[in-house]
Amino acid sequence: MTLAGRALVCRYGPTKAVDGVDVDAAGNEVLAVFGPNGAGKTTLLKALSGERMPDEGQVLLDGRAVSSADPGWRARLGLVSHRTGLYLRLTVAENLRFFAAMYGLTAGSRAAVEALETVGAQDLAPVRTEALSRGQRQRVALARSLMHDPDILFLDEPFTGLDPAGAASLEAVLLARKSPGRIVVLVTHDLSRGLRLADRIMVMRRGRKVLEGRAGRFDPEGLLARFTDDPGEVA
Amino acid sequence: MTSLRWIGLIAMKDLRQEFRSGGRVIAMLAFAVLACFLFSFSLDRSRVDGLDVAAGLLWLTVLFSSIAGAGRTFDAEEDDGAFRHLLLAPVSRHAIYLGKAVANLVLVCLVAALAAAALTIFFGIAEPGSAAHHASVLFPGAIGLAAAGTFFGLISRHSTLGDSLLPVLTLPVLAPLISLGATASSRVFLGRPWAEIGGSVRLLWAIAIGLVVVGSLLFRYITEE
Repeated sequence: MTLAGRALVCRYGPTKAVDGVDVDAAGNEVLAVFGPNGAGKTTLLKALSGERMPDEGQVLLDGRAVSSADPGWRARLGLVSHRTGLYLRLTVAENLRFFAAMYGLTAGSRAAVEALETVGAQDLAPVRTEALSRGQRQRVALARSLMHDPDILFLDEPFTGLDPAGAASLEAVLLARKSPGRIVVLVTHDLSRGLRLADRIMVMRRGRKVLEGRAGRFDPEGLLARFTDDPGEVA
Repeated sequence: MTSLRWIGLIAMKDLRQEFRSGGRVIAMLAFAVLACFLFSFSLDRSRVDGLDVAAGLLWLTVLFSSIAGAGRTFDAEEDDGAFRHLLLAPVSRHAIYLGKAVANLVLVCLVAALAAAALTIFFGIAEPGSAAHHASVLFPGAIGLAAAGTFFGLISRHSTLGDSLLPVLTLPVLAPLISLGATASSRVFLGRPWAEIGGSVRLLWAIAIGLVVVGSLLFRYITEE
């Protein structure tokens, strides 16, 4: 399975947040997207997921154009972001049952329990979400995003606010998901963790792709330098 | 069938949150009662008969209370970014809009019932007319208010002007609804037969359905970035 963005352009008014970017992600691998603040990483992720229609270019799954208007496409996606996307005044179980129903899972309660077990948070089910710590919420958010077993998982700064144990747990879940039929796209500032998790990396700056390649070729210090260097060649 | 289920689940989710937090529900109901109470003081009762003004005051009270509540329709969605995830789910935009509008409709109906009772008490109206006729007039009006409030609530949310934009957007659109509703309710308060009221009610339904259809069709465009 391959997910590709071709010549993607996303504008906010006169500013090009994403400027002619080509991106490729394949099954059985994690693609990490790095870049300084304002590089266009999150906008690129939104364009790939269909949350935001690109102003130019297209998104292709296995070579065929996809549209965010297609519910079948959206059903194959999962998203974990730095904001958990949970309803704070509902309990954890109510949140998961609600989203299970939105994804058409017939046994919502069982799916919720299994998803919570996957992230080691089954004891949080009856707790009101607003009473949870940041790390606990993020684990529940991960459970919500994995509940429908998405083919493509987008992660937008998922480690923000997680304690070391929570981050390790998230890493383990992500690595366990690697398979030929699944794609993971990770947007993060955390170079060390991103390099550890990723198979391929891409660096963006000012809306453009300035570097990409196999993760094993780079170290955090070298990558950090590319955040401030002049745009170089695409490796 | 799936869409109806989605609509029901989204409405139930919204109402569960509203009644748990209480904030918006209490604010809307308190506004309605206090407005009716103040109206009863602000009019010279020796010159103005409560029956003559009750209908207009009822509809204005419900209108302003609904607008105040509509501005908070998407609060829970934005608390921790849940709306982004709801939009990413394979649920039609129509179902999301209608689910949220149904939740708003329940709140508007509560406000309308409370305001009608409060006005009847504060203005000492001994014979306020048929309760069934009042409900028949107020219900399509409440649908129109909820439909417009949900739609414009999201627009104002995405605007830099925020909630201050909401009355500017909603009042012109809702003026025909309020005018027709007040006329019909006035006839109910005066105990007129249904034959004199039915025509206005049919027009109220036409406006309400129009607002729901337009809101449902346009909602997807205001949810796209």
